Amino acid sequence: MTTTIERMRNIGISAHIDSGKTTLTERILFYSGKIHRIHEVKGKDGVGATMDHMDLERERGITITSAATHVEWAGHSINIIDTPGHVDFTIEVERSLRVLDGAVLVLCSVGGVQSQTITVDRQLRRYNVPRIAFINKCDRVGANPLKVRDQLEEKLKHNAVLMQIPIGLESQHIGVVDLVAMKAVYFDGSDGEEIRIEEIPADLLPEARQWRNELLDAASMFLDELTEAILEDRITADLIHEAVRRGTIARKLTPVFMGSAYKNKGIQTMLDGVVRYLPNPAEVENVAIDLDAEDGTKKEVILTVDPDAPAVLLAFKLEDGPYGQLTYIRLYQGRIEKGTELVNTRSGQKIKVGRLIRMHADHMEDISEASAGDITALFGIDCASGDTFTAPELNYSMTSIYVPEPVISLAIKPLDKKALDRMAKALNRFTKEDPTFRTFVDHESHETIIQGMGELHLDVYVERMKREYNAEVETGKPQVAYREAITQKAEFDYTHKKQTGGAGQYGRVIGHIEPLTEGVYEFVDEVKGGRIPREFIPSCDKGFKAVVKKGELIGFPVTGTRIVLSDGQYHEVDSSDNAFQAAARGAFRQAYRKARPQILEPVMKVSVEGPTEFAGVVFGSINQRRGIIISSVEDGSFSRVDAEVPLSEMFGYSMQLRSLTQGKAEFTMEFLKYGRVPAAVAEELQKLHAEKKAREAK
Amino acid sequence: MVKTHLIKRSPLRVLEEATHGGPGRGALAVLASPKGVGKTACLVHIATDKLFQSKPVIHVSYASRVDYIITWYEDIFKEIAKNRRLRDACAVHDEIIKNRVIMNFKQDGMRTEQVLRSLEAMITDGKFQADAIIVDGYDFGLAETSDLAKFKAFAFRMGLELWFSASLKETGDALYGPDGTPALLAPHLSEIDVLITLQAKGDVVEIRVVKDHHHPAAGILPLKLDPKTLLIAQEK
Repeated sequence: MTTTIERMRNIGISAHIDSGKTTLTERILFYSGKIHRIHEVKGKDGVGATMDHMDLERERGITITSAATHVEWAGHSINIIDTPGHVDFTIEVERSLRVLDGAVLVLCSVGGVQSQTITVDRQLRRYNVPRIAFINKCDRVGANPLKVRDQLEEKLKHNAVLMQIPIGLESQHIGVVDLVAMKAVYFDGSDGEEIRIEEIPADLLPEARQWRNELLDAASMFLDELTEAILEDRITADLIHEAVRRGTIARKLTPVFMGSAYKNKGIQTMLDGVVRYLPNPAEVENVAIDLDAEDGTKKEVILTVDPDAPAVLLAFKLEDGPYGQLTYIRLYQGRIEKGTELVNTRSGQKIKVGRLIRMHADHMEDISEASAGDITALFGIDCASGDTFTAPELNYSMTSIYVPEPVISLAIKPLDKKALDRMAKALNRFTKEDPTFRTFVDHESHETIIQGMGELHLDVYVERMKREYNAEVETGKPQVAYREAITQKAEFDYTHKKQTGGAGQYGRVIGHIEPLTEGVYEFVDEVKGGRIPREFIPSCDKGFKAVVKKGELIGFPVTGTRIVLSDGQYHEVDSSDNAFQAAARGAFRQAYRKARPQILEPVMKVSVEGPTEFAGVVFGSINQRRGIIISSVEDGSFSRVDAEVPLSEMFGYSMQLRSLTQGKAEFTMEFLKYGRVPAAVAEELQKLHAEKKAREAK
Repeated sequence: MVKTHLIKRSPLRVLEEATHGGPGRGALAVLASPKGVGKTACLVHIATDKLFQSKPVIHVSYASRVDYIITWYEDIFKEIAKNRRLRDACAVHDEIIKNRVIMNFKQDGMRTEQVLRSLEAMITDGKFQADAIIVDGYDFGLAETSDLAKFKAFAFRMGLELWFSASLKETGDALYGPDGTPALLAPHLSEIDVLITLQAKGDVVEIRVVKDHHHPAAGILPLKLDPKTLLIAQEK
């Protein structure tokens, strides 16, 4: 089926853990006709342990957690994109958020805006994703959707506007009042699939009128026609929809829906809200970076959803299925079909589109073509997650090329031979999926090292190795990725000369090294008049590159160095590639100490959220860990502390925080920058390094 | 210019001299003006001056968002660093950040006791030996004089000085009394040790000392607020 772009929606469902995201997703699949029976997340008796969706999926052979699931509602096609809940994986979160055009923010009618809600909302805000809110669990004891609406305004600064009010709460919750149509909506039948529309119960009418007026007030800000219609008393539902839609897309208004996924209330009306108020792909501006732009300026270009334009698509998720690797793609521009030729702009590799798939909850559908705005999957494409494909005439990239350097590493050891093979397979997959996850074998210790963006980041991959690949591994102690960097300019003039019978070696290099504010390494060739022959310039570059891999202070890579080669000398017979490489290494060592190198460590941005009563112990715990408190925000009984803390001091923090606050506070952290290590710590690190070197020398 | 010169030549030395060394430990200074004249910028300038002297500062805000306040600090720092061609600006900036904490409270329902409790937690548990507390966005209209007394007792106990801003709202009545005391602050005058007003007069903003401990007040100072950067500057 082909859908016009106006009838396409790409949405995510974002929520705090336990807000009922899994149940809600399941109900959406049910009502959109994809699942024919409703299953509960809780065991039948209601007391059993909560099943996770993995078990759920296995049990009934559907995929709720697929990267993108296609459903149809009211003549619209909706792609539901899975958004990872964890905040550690900046890249993964970024990728899933950038393919969304809108989101449903799910809140619990009892718990309201919780700390994780704030986190996911902040992410959505960062990527300019318009959202509607769904207040779930109105059947729970203590349900108070109006309070949650207030929290949306106060805590998340949303202009939250009720589209509905509840008919009955807690065990009496049976439906909602639609404030646009001014009708009561009930959900009958065993699974709430029969919608019954009635007049509003008399006792709810005054409240409904009051909230409708608020809705009209808020909506009229976005549509003058609605304001006029209000004055002339000829309001239509269409005018209200249009106004709310404009406000939502401009991210200046958040329509609020409510119900109970578990009790099958309010899902269909919320889905109506998705197609009415969230934008279609043409209403969202997407930019790519033109890699062919002159002077390498990385010019941004705005993509058009025109199907006749050259194709641009992003591979945002790889999945290993029973039939091989599935690559999920979002098509931003143009059209693809079987046989379409595309180029991977990262690797330059050419591919031909083979099977094109649409993922439904319970089956895959082969489709003949896809056009701009759509999300589909491709079979048999070899690529990494985050790669951009374009028609051969373009050279665009959807993601910035910059990938942060990993800040932490961990040695892993498979338990047996079988695990070794599986581990290799798993690592190969993970590194393709996530560019911030890296792996290599340390030549000195012969250990396999994995590197990533945080303790949790690596923990999750170790866990996934076990669960998905059945590869049990032992892990060593996490190791922080320090860096060395020079702080001032220093000259070098170094001659490498060897005359020990046979062919001699000769190379002389002159120049300087200096700090580079952006980037890791830069080599500048200013040699004039052939003082060093052309063919040996790359040799010098190679020599410098090799030597910055291991700094002299503590053996970690040297970052932020510009090397300027300005002069030198060569010998007709004795100069060689090797000789100039050796000269470059010697020159760097000669200049390094003079350039006053220092040790840098990864510094994390840490946010701790919890009840105010624990603010003191949180301050103390951060201070203890060499942290700098940037700010503390108190809002009634809730407080949030933002700090900058060296990663090396963050090990075991989740345990400490839990015991200090009786488990009531939680924290998130992400990499912020490399910062200078204090003198005392630097000395200690250097001492340890010297001891290690002495041991190895023995 | 190196940091020590920058401190010595700061126009804030004029303000300090005119108020017998500033409020001092355990004392309260209030900077009052109608909205939009430049109170926050002034407070941030005063705080930055202390930070330059390696004196830790807690910036308490009742209104603005944290990122907004940080932007103020960044802007003021950049202006000063540029104006005075500060050497080693990067290192100085790093040190400043270490010595500055921003604490944000929502005033409605936030009691003075709770604010002071959190401040004490920051100073003792967080081991942040503040030299001064800067309070912006405090609503003097809602304040009880006893609240100010509690703040002062706290400041005395902790050995730090207090700088508050007061926003004067147009109410139809005269903003200032005959001696220049803002009407809003008159009930609290007994607790205020140093009172400074900012008044826009045409293009310039006058800085005036209305109360100076037990000394006669210095009146209008030879300082002005630069309308572009909102920095306190000496009159040429």
